[in-house]
Amino acid sequence: MNVGIAQGERNPNSSWLNSRGVWLTYIILLFVLHFILLSIPYITTPVAWTLTTTIHNICSFYLFHLVKGAPWETSDQGRARRFTFWEQIDNGVQWTGTRKFLQILPIILFFIASFYTKYDRTHFVINLATMLLAVVPKFPIFFGVRLFDINRY
Amino acid sequence: MGSSANQDNVASLATDFYSLLESFKETPFYHLLFEIFLVLTVLWLILFRKPRRIEKKLTEKEKQELIDEWQPEPLVPPVDANHPALNVRVLDGIVGKTIEIDGKKSLNFATFNFLNFVGNPRIADKAIQAVQKYGVGSCGPRGFYGTIDIHLELEERLAHFFNCEEGIIYSYGFSTVASIIPAYSKRNDILFVDEGVHYAIQKGVEASRSTVKWFRHNDISDLERLLAEQDIHDKKNPKKARTLRRFLIIEGLYMNYGDLCPLPRMVELKYQYKYRIFMDESVSFGTIGQTGRGVTEYYNIDRRKIDLISSSLEYSVGSIGGFAVGSSFVVDHQRLSAQGYCFSASLPPLLAAAAIEALNIMEEKDTTLCDTLMEKSKRLHRKLLDIKGYLIVGEDISPLKHLRLTNSQNTVARLEEIVEFAQTRGITITVARYLNDEHHLPEPSIRLILNVEMTDEELEFLCTVLQEARVKVTV
Repeated sequence: MNVGIAQGERNPNSSWLNSRGVWLTYIILLFVLHFILLSIPYITTPVAWTLTTTIHNICSFYLFHLVKGAPWETSDQGRARRFTFWEQIDNGVQWTGTRKFLQILPIILFFIASFYTKYDRTHFVINLATMLLAVVPKFPIFFGVRLFDINRY
Repeated sequence: MGSSANQDNVASLATDFYSLLESFKETPFYHLLFEIFLVLTVLWLILFRKPRRIEKKLTEKEKQELIDEWQPEPLVPPVDANHPALNVRVLDGIVGKTIEIDGKKSLNFATFNFLNFVGNPRIADKAIQAVQKYGVGSCGPRGFYGTIDIHLELEERLAHFFNCEEGIIYSYGFSTVASIIPAYSKRNDILFVDEGVHYAIQKGVEASRSTVKWFRHNDISDLERLLAEQDIHDKKNPKKARTLRRFLIIEGLYMNYGDLCPLPRMVELKYQYKYRIFMDESVSFGTIGQTGRGVTEYYNIDRRKIDLISSSLEYSVGSIGGFAVGSSFVVDHQRLSAQGYCFSASLPPLLAAAAIEALNIMEEKDTTLCDTLMEKSKRLHRKLLDIKGYLIVGEDISPLKHLRLTNSQNTVARLEEIVEFAQTRGITITVARYLNDEHHLPEPSIRLILNVEMTDEELEFLCTVLQEARVKVTV
């Protein structure tokens, strides 16, 4: 991210997801997770897919919407201290490529998981719940919103 | 055998997939509807939401309007012939106890040369030796090949002088305190700052983007009021209060007023309201206290109670640069976070050598430099009080005093006349100048600096000249 560029980034958290190869790595890591789950015996394919989507969505909710600040010594005088990672991406500009990619990915996962679980009702409910958890907080109406003052300061 | 098993495997895979496709045909209706809705959402997200652009584009008409409106300004605007920039006074030689302006020698009561280290031959010799050993510049910031053993030695000596754990040096006195404050205090933190602080501290406070609460100069009751208000806020919102940091920014001896800060009470309040004290001792380093260790020595306060003491090497020490001393935990943070430390070239080794030699002189066993300075300041204060018509602002032990004319006669023009008259009689003094965007400018005054090597006769002469000037100006 900061390698080979002339200007310094005030908050690298805003731009590292735009770096070369990050989206592909994200998808590959998702598949690696899925293959690990498939290798465990007694987990059938439908269960493995539901587990993949669930683990992915819960982890992404925690990392994007619960953790605040940046793991760098940023030079923005602490402007990002109260913002979650999702709000810091691209310095708050909405509807950029990365944001759309990250928002559409759980939906695609939901399609794939529904297909492989043969549209079973229980799996549908679980997948739907986690998909909403991952997709809904990413809309711009929720920018800066902290429900019930949880995680506000 | 193997090939038929293979074929079976492939066949079983195919039937699995086929069964999946079959089940696709039997999807429940609500699910199909939901999936179509999601597909449309995805398409909408991809195609119909563009990132909002920040700058507006101007139309051709608007561009032409702006071009037509533009009036060129002259390259050189008309300037008054008496502008100081056009009447430069030329100094010759070392600006020490005496100063040679336009060929005439006069006594220097204008520059911050408290201990008369400027032009001191011992220090000059050591600096020349350092040039012969290290060259002239250090060629780099501290983190990138700019750290030389003499920097580390100076840091250790300063820490030892103040009996603190660690010291850190900067290459420019102004940027010392202006880098230190933003390194610790960030956007949502609270700074309690005295209104009379000098410009570098004001810039540091501005750069930190923190919430600033100014309290009246040296007014402890005002500070207590602000602290109590903040305390009420904190009690209403304890979760927010836990993420806030509070700092008190003060100077030891104020450059704009010449008086000491009420440090003991501020340290008491520190333990009551839980804030950290950052003290700038630019003027009081080397001048206040029995051995020149500053205001903490004068008030006999344990230096561990002050979180960070910063100062400039440009005043008493006669070198260039600045430093900060404190506990290792506090000072070490600046090595990566202070902009003036990381991103400026380090102090030239010859100036570091000069500073070390100045510390040597200050730490000599039987030195009475600081005692003498305090005595002379007291004597000068008494003499100045005897002159009618001047208002002396500042402590009696302070070598930095501000002189004002009484009541409404105190204008910059009159003070400039006094300065000019004094210059004709061989005394160089100066009117304290401030920048336009300074916060809470003090009233116009003449800033008198006492040099430790001024003799009594010279001080008498100064008072005589000031008296004559007063008479001349008010007539």
